[in-house]
Amino acid sequence: MLCGTVLAAVVSVPVAYIAAANTTPGRGWQALGRFVTVLTRAIPDVVLAMVFVLIFSLGTLPGILAIGIHSIGMISKLFADAIEQIDEGPRRAIRAAGGSRLQEFASGILPQVLPSWVATVLHRNDINLRGSVILGYVGVAGLGLEMSFAFKSLDYGLGLGIALVMFALCVIMEVVSSVVRAAMLGIQPTGRGLGDRVARLAGRATAGRVAIAGDRIGTSVGLDTPPSSATRPAALAAALHRPWDAVRIRNTVWAWMALAILVGSVIVCDIQWGDLITVWAKIPEIAVLFWPPDFGSYDAATMFGAMAQTIGIALAATLLSLVFSIVIGSLAARNVAPNGATRTSMRLLLVTIRGIPEVILAIVLIVITGLGTQAGTIALAFGGVGLLGKLIADSFEEVKSGPERALRAAGASRSQVYASATLAQGTPALIGHGFYLLDTNIRAATILGIVGGGGIGYYLLNAGQGSNYQMVTAIVLMILATVLLVEGIAVWMRRVFR
Amino acid sequence: MSDTSVIEVSGLTKAFGRTVALRQAAFSVEKGEIVVLLGLSGSGKSTLLRHLDGLETPTSGSVRVLGKEVPSLSGRHLRALRSRVGFVFQQFDLVPSLTVLENVVTGALAGLRGPRVGLWSYPKRLKLAALGHLDRVGLLDRAYQRADTLSGGQQQRVAIARALMQDPEILLADEPVASLDPESSEQVMSLIREIAMDAGLTVVCSLHQVDLAMSWADRIIGLRHGDVVLDTHVEGLGKAEVIEIYGRVATSTGELEAIERELTDVPSGSESVR
Repeated sequence: MLCGTVLAAVVSVPVAYIAAANTTPGRGWQALGRFVTVLTRAIPDVVLAMVFVLIFSLGTLPGILAIGIHSIGMISKLFADAIEQIDEGPRRAIRAAGGSRLQEFASGILPQVLPSWVATVLHRNDINLRGSVILGYVGVAGLGLEMSFAFKSLDYGLGLGIALVMFALCVIMEVVSSVVRAAMLGIQPTGRGLGDRVARLAGRATAGRVAIAGDRIGTSVGLDTPPSSATRPAALAAALHRPWDAVRIRNTVWAWMALAILVGSVIVCDIQWGDLITVWAKIPEIAVLFWPPDFGSYDAATMFGAMAQTIGIALAATLLSLVFSIVIGSLAARNVAPNGATRTSMRLLLVTIRGIPEVILAIVLIVITGLGTQAGTIALAFGGVGLLGKLIADSFEEVKSGPERALRAAGASRSQVYASATLAQGTPALIGHGFYLLDTNIRAATILGIVGGGGIGYYLLNAGQGSNYQMVTAIVLMILATVLLVEGIAVWMRRVFR
Repeated sequence: MSDTSVIEVSGLTKAFGRTVALRQAAFSVEKGEIVVLLGLSGSGKSTLLRHLDGLETPTSGSVRVLGKEVPSLSGRHLRALRSRVGFVFQQFDLVPSLTVLENVVTGALAGLRGPRVGLWSYPKRLKLAALGHLDRVGLLDRAYQRADTLSGGQQQRVAIARALMQDPEILLADEPVASLDPESSEQVMSLIREIAMDAGLTVVCSLHQVDLAMSWADRIIGLRHGDVVLDTHVEGLGKAEVIEIYGRVATSTGELEAIERELTDVPSGSESVR
């Protein structure tokens, strides 16, 4: 899972580079970049995993590749967006100094977008962690496979036990992202979220030493000391070595730990690297299996009906999430919550919700309500609250505090301030996040069908298990068309509501 | 135009769509001169500066810098020219998340091949040079701090150190003190002048404050609505000429009258004391 995310993270850099409007070498390249991001996002990772399982037979490599390729889309889209939003100044400065395009990117752009890139990758890792559950269903090794066996053999105790382990992993990931983000942005973690708290604790331990180290550097060479020619070269040579203050020690330790974890994950996955070389020969014969697209034994009306059902699930779930997450997300924002306790409990609620993989939720709900669209919708809506609520809370906390202060000074009540200042400023972000969720939900709805949540996913799984690969192609094309349509509407809406 | 001029601009016109930013601008700058482009915002001084470094392409006219026709250059040749011309921006344009030292060494990128990430990827010789320049601007003790932890004036001094990394022959500065408080402005401006005098640099700096330009520059080129309206050496200017300068560069007549009053009031005031 981690390997897949890393793969995606690396590949997404050049893709984002050519897809971002301000760095792209040309219009054609930009179109290609955007197309790659949409395409890789639109193809469900389950389908990719299916294909790779066919190519590689069972093992971890199909899962890694499926997750990796599927993640490229999202990471490079967000990364490209981030590149387009940077401050052009440093880059222009490097151009003015005679730097080449690549140097502009490495020295002027990359350092600016690195925090957002890391945040995106960590966030994606979080999603992939949950996604790896579903991949178990199509035969990719990992916890997901164990869990699918457990549920198939009706051993709910074991299944839920594994689900709990996944939940714990999700919470740990949350904490790690918070710490990393705080370290990269150079901000003091002030939030009351779980991750922020841990970050603060870690920070407190080192803070004392930083202060001491800072003092020492400060006194050694001051601005006012007149340059004496004899000692200056020595001072310069001494300054060549960066002092090992607490911050640097901490960052270095973190960096090496991260590297160790990455290397560890590759070792744990026990990848058959040889497969990567030998499989190319197999690709043509497998590709033939998938062409031409065909609905098989079903008629087109059934399939379009199922697709409509999937879209319906996604829309209903998005709407439900939107309603709940506006309430929960608002109360989880520092500038809206009436007191710290409310905010903390809401944040905790959001983390908890995000910690539960949707698929597990769907499986539990199916056990309760039986097969069908209802379980799928509720599961998606529930999961959506976790994501959307967090995004809404974060963007509400990021609105300018000036207008809020002005209204409060004019005697407005808490709810009036919320409605006229906070909500008014947060609306564009709200719309953006809503569409992002819809986009995610359409794909997620497909996957939920696989575990019995209704819609097109059921047929997709059938087709896959029945080795009816032409039908898989047909369904993927349908999903692709839908995703492109939603993407188009989202772009248009963002332009209108800017 | 003499043989020693390092910048020669003639008939330079630049239009952005229908707006004409520069109209038939022409002047030349001798080696070692310290010149201020004086004008209000929107008068075309930034656009003019950007042409000198090839950051803009003229609609028509000629821009010769260090003997090269700038608009005709591209790719490697343009980068080679840019590496000989330092540029200091109004908003400093440092990378906020990098250390001060790393921001300074990026000034030397033109002399290196390929992209660089992290301090370790720069040769030791350049790091030493960067530390030297930081020492020159009085910020050696800040070398390993993040750039965004510095004050505005300090950031601009880092930006100057970055420009010095290029070993420039010409230093261009676009409103270098417009975002700074008076005290930091003073520090930055005198630093630029000192460095220019020491190294024999040619400086072209855009400003909008007439008094600062008068006290700082050797020569003032005034711009107004895209026209060069003034080109004069500062030394030995009389009161009438100063009022003339305000008049040419300031926009509203009200503003001009106020300045005129102030300039005529001061001597009469001191007389009454006597």
